[in-house]
Amino acid sequence: MPGALDDIRVIDASGPIGHYAGYLLADLGADVVKLEAPEGDPARRWAPLLPDTPEPESGLQFILLNANKRGAVLDLERPEGRDAFLRLLATADVLLESWSPAEAERLSLTPDVIEAANPALIHTSVTGWGLTGPYADWAYADIVACAMSGVMNLAGFPDGPPEQLPDHQGYHCASINAAAGVMAAILHRDASGEGQRVEVSMQESLLTAEETAMQSADILGVNRQRTGGGGATGFKMPGLGVYETADGALYSMCTGNAGSGFQGLVELMREFDGPGEIHQEPLSSFVQERMNTQLLMQAMQDPEGASDILGTLRRVDAIAVDFFKRHPTQRIYQRGQELRVLLGPVNSPQDISESEQLAARGWFRTIEDPGRGRSLRYPGPPWMLEGTPASLRRPAPLLGEHTREVLAEAGIEGGMVDALLEAGVAR
Amino acid sequence: MTSATAQTDTQRPRPLDGLRVLDLTWFGAGPIATRIMANLGADVVRIETEKRPDGLRVVGPKPVGNNSLNVSGYYNNFNSEKRSIAIDLTQPEGHALGLRLVQWADLFMTNMTNRAVRQTGMTWDQVREANPRIIGLYEPMQGLTGPHTEYMGFGAVLSALCGLNYLAGYERNRPIGVGTNYPDYVVNPGHGVIAMMAAIRHQRRTGQGQLIDMSQLESSAAVLSGPVFARDNAGVEYVRQGNRVPYAAPHGAYRTSEEGDRPDRWLAIACLSDAEWRAAAGAMSHPEWADDARFASTAARKANEDALDALIAEWAAGQHGPSALRALQAAGVPSGLVLDATEVLHDPHLEERGYYAYPDHPEAGPRAYDGPGFRLSKSPHEVRGAAPLLGEHTFEVATEVLGLSPDEIGRLIAEDVLR
Repeated sequence: MPGALDDIRVIDASGPIGHYAGYLLADLGADVVKLEAPEGDPARRWAPLLPDTPEPESGLQFILLNANKRGAVLDLERPEGRDAFLRLLATADVLLESWSPAEAERLSLTPDVIEAANPALIHTSVTGWGLTGPYADWAYADIVACAMSGVMNLAGFPDGPPEQLPDHQGYHCASINAAAGVMAAILHRDASGEGQRVEVSMQESLLTAEETAMQSADILGVNRQRTGGGGATGFKMPGLGVYETADGALYSMCTGNAGSGFQGLVELMREFDGPGEIHQEPLSSFVQERMNTQLLMQAMQDPEGASDILGTLRRVDAIAVDFFKRHPTQRIYQRGQELRVLLGPVNSPQDISESEQLAARGWFRTIEDPGRGRSLRYPGPPWMLEGTPASLRRPAPLLGEHTREVLAEAGIEGGMVDALLEAGVAR
Repeated sequence: MTSATAQTDTQRPRPLDGLRVLDLTWFGAGPIATRIMANLGADVVRIETEKRPDGLRVVGPKPVGNNSLNVSGYYNNFNSEKRSIAIDLTQPEGHALGLRLVQWADLFMTNMTNRAVRQTGMTWDQVREANPRIIGLYEPMQGLTGPHTEYMGFGAVLSALCGLNYLAGYERNRPIGVGTNYPDYVVNPGHGVIAMMAAIRHQRRTGQGQLIDMSQLESSAAVLSGPVFARDNAGVEYVRQGNRVPYAAPHGAYRTSEEGDRPDRWLAIACLSDAEWRAAAGAMSHPEWADDARFASTAARKANEDALDALIAEWAAGQHGPSALRALQAAGVPSGLVLDATEVLHDPHLEERGYYAYPDHPEAGPRAYDGPGFRLSKSPHEVRGAAPLLGEHTFEVATEVLGLSPDEIGRLIAEDVLR
């Protein structure tokens, strides 16, 4: 079956901030060419590394996020490389790049130059700060966007540092926005024939992830802080948060009218342990009458208003702590979910890797990577499109693996290619 | 305050103008996706009920003392420019009206559990039967198939399931996650929007709709799969390392002085290359650190990271954060202050870029809304209006789309089918 982007060619000249954008477009069927400088993308050398694999082919982050792309090398710092690049753009539908305004200026690859090379091109810029404003030329990294978007202020414990989001969420969110922008621009071009510029800032890409912090500041003048797992409530709500189990940990959201609420957890306790203190007076009535959405709302808006029952809440929570600690994660998770008790295990990479649900849906995909002499197991796509299914067609490119064929497709052949290769402009 | 409305040009066409979206979503991941569609020009009609309102209409933040279902900043931010029709789908007449909206729509989206979808009579089989050319995006927690298809949860449960809690923070602490329901806000809506636009392109080219089966677990795990990939293919076991990364140092947040600044001020610094480290050492007025053999290469800095971090922490403690940031950025070092939400709202960079929009809302007034996550130069993506009141467009949609007469509408309202 066809992919939705079968007819689309993407030149992905972006750095790590844009890897995932190209990966998503490739998964939808686009022909994506990863264009690198002669030394290769920095992520090719990022640990962790694939063992027994020579540099620069071993960086796992690069291998993961550049699957499905072909690879070509051009030195854009040199005039011959720049000229060849502009010819490549003439055959492309989408350019992804991550130059700051100053870098684009230095490379003489400003938006007007790009547009002149191909007026129908969808020129997508994904950078730390966007192309305008006082920080436009600032240096950036994933953790810097976590900091300057406010999301880091919400993560961690009050007595420890603010914490970054793990595994490059700034890059990923910027890339998701870039891919979404490309899709919107493709729909516009399909209808009008018109190309345009798409601009993404990593700082802006994370702002919605502040959750209610922005609105709390705007409406109430209150800054949410990192609470060490307390969420938006001012005190510990029983049944809400991470609990240790006999063999790991799980997240419990047994509160308010979510699923079967805290009452559902109380029933789960009865089923596993028989009647206990929580099923007797006075706690039994307390749970039924007080532990509802109203209390949760009060907890979020006016924690002091609940101060008269804090002692009882602590006792109820101690019972929950004790219950979870005595039972294995999977048993309470699976039986709990059957009773609509909102529980979820704190899954490790191994748990994800071995998940029966993901296996049943055929999520993981294995492909041969002859260049690296092994087969590799890839995580699946974020979506399943019934009519235009996603596909994993090729492994991540070796540095310069497809330079000749990509240049040939742009009409750069024979002696011209040899000259570029000899001069080290291409590789 | 920068007013984004001053910059909007309502004459310029947007990429999804004319697209009809029927929205049966609630909470975060669903409404944010359809909000992006609305801000791209789609006509998004949202089915709601007062009987079981969107939880975000309930929880706030709201102005103190105002418990209206129409003033939640949490809800309003995620629902700009949509139309709201209040229909009780659980009544036969309400369900019939819902299916007529399905026939009107190009695309239907829900992020409800399978159980709630069955209760509203909007399963894929029912929707496709009513409109064979429609696109359906279904987004239950773990997908439409498999042994856990009925399992339910919210973003916080999902954070644990998808690996986020395990990966975030420090080994010494409980795996609390990142303080928010993170996957709900950018990752899952963003993936949903991309998938919807891919399906729209296919629909426009072939006339065919399709089912998008989007498991929130898979969508979230996709952006956290680095450690899974490393484990499966290289046997690398993940160790929680807080603000560090395996391939660069220094990489962390360092507490700066409170003097002349607010308390609890932290400065994030990341040196991704030797050159950036040399530049950082210079900007910190310790050029000798760059010549220290312990810190001469990435491998050396990683091996001596505790000593490196101790030096930088000591330096930072004596610094005025904003001044230190200017010095580091002037030297080209990736760095930034850990801003709180008020500082973000008034960040001069975001203000100059006009990121936040302040559409006026009849009950909530002009409040801050998140602006577009991507900007388009010719067919704009922008917030042109506020969120709807619950049922604000019942009469309008019932008249224009469903073709009901005022008398019929009056009867259906009297019978609690419409509100």
